[in-house]
Amino acid sequence: MSLLEVKNLCVSFSAKGKEFAVLDNVELSVEQGSIMGIAGVSGAGKTTLLRTLNLLQRPASGKIAFDGVDIMSVSQEELRVLRRRIGVIFQSYNLFRNKTVARNIAFPVIIEGVNKKKALEKAREIAEELELIHRLGSYPSQLSGGEQQRVSIARALITNPRMILLDEPTSALDPFLTSRILRLVKRVNSVHGVTVIIVTHDMSVIKRVCDQIAYLEKGKMVFCGPTHDYFSEYYLSVSHDDHAAEQLEKAKKILAENGGNKLVRLVFWGEAAGEPILWKCSKGLDVSVNILYGEIEEFKHGPFGTLLVATCGKDSAEFLRRLSGNVYKMEVLT
Amino acid sequence: MISELTRATLESLYMIFASGLLSILLGMPLGIILYTCAGSKRLASVYRVMDVSVNIFRSVPFIILILLLIPVTRRVTGTIIGPNAAIFNLTVAAVPFFGRLTENALNTLPRGVSDSAQAMGVTYRQFVFMVLVPETLPDHILNASVLLINLVTYTAIAGAVGAGGLGQLAINYGYYRFQWNVVLYSVIILVLISQGIQLLGTSLSRMLRK
Repeated sequence: MSLLEVKNLCVSFSAKGKEFAVLDNVELSVEQGSIMGIAGVSGAGKTTLLRTLNLLQRPASGKIAFDGVDIMSVSQEELRVLRRRIGVIFQSYNLFRNKTVARNIAFPVIIEGVNKKKALEKAREIAEELELIHRLGSYPSQLSGGEQQRVSIARALITNPRMILLDEPTSALDPFLTSRILRLVKRVNSVHGVTVIIVTHDMSVIKRVCDQIAYLEKGKMVFCGPTHDYFSEYYLSVSHDDHAAEQLEKAKKILAENGGNKLVRLVFWGEAAGEPILWKCSKGLDVSVNILYGEIEEFKHGPFGTLLVATCGKDSAEFLRRLSGNVYKMEVLT
Repeated sequence: MISELTRATLESLYMIFASGLLSILLGMPLGIILYTCAGSKRLASVYRVMDVSVNIFRSVPFIILILLLIPVTRRVTGTIIGPNAAIFNLTVAAVPFFGRLTENALNTLPRGVSDSAQAMGVTYRQFVFMVLVPETLPDHILNASVLLINLVTYTAIAGAVGAGGLGQLAINYGYYRFQWNVVLYSVIILVLISQGIQLLGTSLSRMLRK
């Protein structure tokens, strides 16, 4: 069941009397309990999309349904209640600098009218889970960046939200803290069942935690679907990436020098990535296989690999036919 | 002589702090209203009107303002001389001033902090009293000391037209009767009051800044 459904969303900003579109007909569907990554280069409209999802940014047109409710047609009062079901973790954390960590975390429930003592008790529980218990009496300026971020996450979780939105959660963190925060996000998602939307320009974040990816380019959604589908298309369409194009040029050169006759790119996903498929498919055939490039990565739902191979021999065609039934995606390049 | 100085000092302090308190109580909400209108598309025209009015009040020289206000002062306080009349004049001059100072202080709240409060679903009242004002509190304390020190000066000016206090003492005894030592003592006391207020404001603000 989808928790969030975005249709034909257009957002425009006006500057110096001119209107320009930041988001152009964006469609997005986020499954209940999943982790969705919104990716794209800087200026593609990722953060604007995130801000539009709880109407911090009003769209010019389109429809946003959260949990079946059209949020653009609700009253201010209903919108306030709705926003309490959506936690936001901003890129700059935006903590209240004149409140202690405990008060910061407790704030969202205090404004709901929960009495202070109970609210602070609940803040304590969450602080315990996020290893912030020793920091409850401190002020934000006394915390490190990583701690400030965890306070901001604790503050978003205290209301037991249905969904949390994270804006570039790893851009200011070192690799160690990045891993830690990604583990935390996964745990929040699996233990608390919270649907997560992460805005990031870092593809490794997408690979490690996201079930789905929405890729934005100049305000347009160019891909929205499962992460492994995105990356298999990505690896197959060379134009995306200088590195891949360079690989292919090298491979073609090797192919020309060594007299192979077919250049093939294979994409594996899940269990198949661990099997000796090349060996299995070439058994008993007159074919030689030369591996030119290979890579395997750990995705959220298992290993994901890509291979660039050259084949020759009179049974090449039969070999490729067998291969195509055993890999996730295959493309014959020459 | 000493008893004259003491009486004048107490009168001055009374005028400064009474008008100061009234100006803060009225100027603070004015600042909050200015901030709110400036941030809302719907209230943009209201903001323009208030903005211009505040500027007009602030650009009339205080001594002229006192003269212009004479009929109003008489109606409100029953008299146009003495400390209470002066307090009315001082407050009228200081409210727009403090309103503007408050607006500037509120504008230092980072946009992101206001966004995160909105994203949590705060009501307008919660936003003002639990986020906007507490988060900018150290600046308001500094503003209050700026206001009070301005009122020290203004009170002395009001003394020239019969408000009482140190200003009047300095003019009546010192300037008109050539007792320059009275002028000197009055000035010394005014300087001490100003220094005291500034010291208190700065240290309180520093204590509250986290």
